[in-house]
Amino acid sequence: MILTALASGGQHGYGIITDVQEISGGQIRLRPGTLYTALDRLRADELIAVDREEIVDGRLRRYYRLTPAGTKLLAAEAARLQAHASAALARLNLAGGAAT
Amino acid sequence: MTDQANLERGYRRLLAWYPRAFRRENGQEILAVLMACAPDGQRRPGLAESADLIRSGLWMRLRPSVPRSARTVRAAVKLMYAGAAVSTVNLIILLAVIGDIKAYHAILGYHLTAAQVSHLNTLAITMEIVLDLVPIALWLWMARETGQGRNWARSLSTVLFGLATLSLTSVFPQSVINISFVPTVHISFVPVLGAIVPVLTWLAGLAVVWLLWRPASTAFFKPPGVTHAGHSAQPPSPPRSSSSWVPRQL
Repeated sequence: MILTALASGGQHGYGIITDVQEISGGQIRLRPGTLYTALDRLRADELIAVDREEIVDGRLRRYYRLTPAGTKLLAAEAARLQAHASAALARLNLAGGAAT
Repeated sequence: MTDQANLERGYRRLLAWYPRAFRRENGQEILAVLMACAPDGQRRPGLAESADLIRSGLWMRLRPSVPRSARTVRAAVKLMYAGAAVSTVNLIILLAVIGDIKAYHAILGYHLTAAQVSHLNTLAITMEIVLDLVPIALWLWMARETGQGRNWARSLSTVLFGLATLSLTSVFPQSVINISFVPTVHISFVPVLGAIVPVLTWLAGLAVVWLLWRPASTAFFKPPGVTHAGHSAQPPSPPRSSSSWVPRQL
């Protein structure tokens, strides 16, 4: 989800939280503690990197972006999920067709 | 404004659960996000929020910082945490049988006064608890140092494992090296679990030592004297505390 939030460009922490909430249709509300644990792990695995830093209202705001490895992983994961979803839909259609 | 200052102070206090290095790097940023997430008028951190920060902070402190590529070292560090968990079971067993130990002392010390028996109880039980805490501390310490790539931790873990092996032999009453004149507390009071725990921790220790000396692990450890290139580049080895609780002589 975090990678998806970053797919369209760099985001800062609060932006990721609101974006993930929007993508999930309000179902997932990341807490800051969880978010930064995940960001730290993703940075260590070099799936994301710091894009730029800004000071807003005297506070540091850091923007993150996907690295090429992160983009590749997200694409592979999305393709995998899509394949699963298509398989499920195809079978449901078959079952529905047989039933009617 | 005061509400906000109060809230910020509350969050800062919670951020103390995070490792210092992480706080220095990300503290201001997390604080800004926390403040941005807080609804107007909130005066102190919520319960769920606090739990999340404490959990994440502790996780950051405890999780191994070994890169994914060093698979054998990661496995060894995980095993060390498992060893700490099993050693904790040992401590719980001890706490559960305190009553039995006291009864045992009352019988052993039938010729002593009540005050002497009580003194013996305090002394013996305190010693037992301390001896049970040592392996837990050793496991955690070694896991941490190994995770940070310290080569000496690998050697120390191996030495500790050797000591654990020696003390394991005294778990079994008929052992030649059995030096305890009173049977090991855990064994005598909890025959099955009391024997399984030391064997389990010893096996974990064996696996850890094996993993740490695999060629794949050695590549991860920096040779002494070389400056550290990245963060946590060299792994040390895990300590073994498995047998520490094993030989208890009261």
